[in-house]
Amino acid sequence: MRNTKYCVNNFCLYDYRGVEERLSDMEAKGWRLEKAGPSLWKYRRAEPARVRYAVTYSDSASWFNPGPTEQQQSLEELCAAAGWEKVCDWFQMQIFRTANPAAVPLETDEALRLEGIHRSMKRNFIPVNIIGLFLLLFVARSFFLALFTGDLYGMVRNNATLFAASISVPAVCFQVYLLSNYFLWRRRSRRSIEDGGTCLPVGRAYRRAGLVMWGLVTLFAAAYILSELSGGGGGSALYFVLYMSLFYLLVFLVRRTTALLRGMKVSKTANMAGTLIVDFVLAFALIGGLTYTALNHDWFSGGSGSGETYEYQNREWDVSPRRDFPLTLAELTGERYDHISREVRDRGSLFVSERNYWEIALLGDGPKTRNLSYTLYETKYPVLQESMLEDLLEDDPVRFRGMTMFTWHYLPEDPAPWGAEAAWRRHIDEDPEDTWILVWPGRAVEIRFGSPTEAQMAIAAARLKPEA
Amino acid sequence: MAREKFQTLTEPMFYILLSLREERCGTDVMAWVAERTRGRVSIGPGTLYNLLDSFQQSDMIRETHVSGRKRSYLITSRGREILEAEYRRLLVLTEDYQACVEERRQLP
Repeated sequence: MRNTKYCVNNFCLYDYRGVEERLSDMEAKGWRLEKAGPSLWKYRRAEPARVRYAVTYSDSASWFNPGPTEQQQSLEELCAAAGWEKVCDWFQMQIFRTANPAAVPLETDEALRLEGIHRSMKRNFIPVNIIGLFLLLFVARSFFLALFTGDLYGMVRNNATLFAASISVPAVCFQVYLLSNYFLWRRRSRRSIEDGGTCLPVGRAYRRAGLVMWGLVTLFAAAYILSELSGGGGGSALYFVLYMSLFYLLVFLVRRTTALLRGMKVSKTANMAGTLIVDFVLAFALIGGLTYTALNHDWFSGGSGSGETYEYQNREWDVSPRRDFPLTLAELTGERYDHISREVRDRGSLFVSERNYWEIALLGDGPKTRNLSYTLYETKYPVLQESMLEDLLEDDPVRFRGMTMFTWHYLPEDPAPWGAEAAWRRHIDEDPEDTWILVWPGRAVEIRFGSPTEAQMAIAAARLKPEA
Repeated sequence: MAREKFQTLTEPMFYILLSLREERCGTDVMAWVAERTRGRVSIGPGTLYNLLDSFQQSDMIRETHVSGRKRSYLITSRGREILEAEYRRLLVLTEDYQACVEERRQLP
């Protein structure tokens, strides 16, 4: 039979009533609180007993203190004289218990209780939540930017943006809800106290909302991994799984560092500095190391070549070039090439598919080569196609060291030779380039090929337009 | 801020300051108030801890002695002024009440 158990703590710092009730219930069931960690609370088996728990708040308490401060010791002394035994503390919350039903309550002045809670909230919950809110907005900045500029395609164009948003949006809503819930509770409690009442119960809604938020985050994370795996983005999925694992390892190690330094009785300032240094070094080593490995091994490219290669004329060529290209250089030019390299890259999302085909062929014995590159953008949703086209046709400034060197822009062209509904050609100022955007219902194609003839345009159109 | 905060005193504040006209530690204050008010006013240890801290920050009391976890306090001249002011305020209330009752009694 287990003698200890850990439970996830999902209470807010100001929900003193919820904490008191939970701890009394647990002790009635034979589980006494032994230690309150930041997120996990440790209970030890004990004789079931009807015991009162009460909490109060001490500004001087800190996670980094080597032990109880003088102020905390004074409080414990006062509480002991009133029949209350200290159990442990959780941030600024000081937890006490008593078996004496007649013991004077810890707090007998509700206005002072509310003031004490607010002081603790200002030191802990409020700044942490506000910083968290800004971090979440930063993580999903491309989504929120697209949201504010009404760029629907920008919001859903790739899984990474979609996933960051799917996690950040519920989390941002939850953070805003938690903060506003607290200020609303404080205002109502103040009114209640002015009318001679007590601080109001916080209720369970915020804890349920927290569970829903975590459920959604888990669901979206699973959806992201599956979507990446099914779309050939195994590298991105692996990076995400490792990133999350290392992040939790980092949190664990940083907390252990704080606990270790606390055990060594180093001062609060030294503990904070030590923890910060360890945090920084570990983050750099773990997350930085992972990102370096991922970039070095091309985990995010989503690219997939043709497998085995050989070297000729200082380049790598495919032994057996891929055959799943809708359009090849050989078809377009009618020529035969002995040395070919082909690669496909997928960058789409659940709503939009974006597949880039890239082919290079050696002309004769070289060293000249010929290139063909085209990207198929597909969506089932007409509203997305409109937004996607706006995005593709947007002016694209090319910068070097902060200076705009030139701007790519698209000018409409006659779509008839391409057999498309509409066509645009990329220009630098007035000079046309060999890049076109072609549009059919449900599909847009960006194709890059040097000076195609009308016959080649017709071949490309026949191969790249969607099947009827 | 402190002047505004303690412009009027609650019963626990009044009795804590009254008890600290003599040097006392926190537990003695709790016992003195309970005895003086015959249990009518009870001060929780959390409330007392916060009030002693606030009074100290507002220079209404000062720490006189620390022995282990036990801390003793004594009222300051500023604390005495605030206590006196509260006493006079209560007297005015009492006098007004008595005057009103007397006027009513003298009505035909």
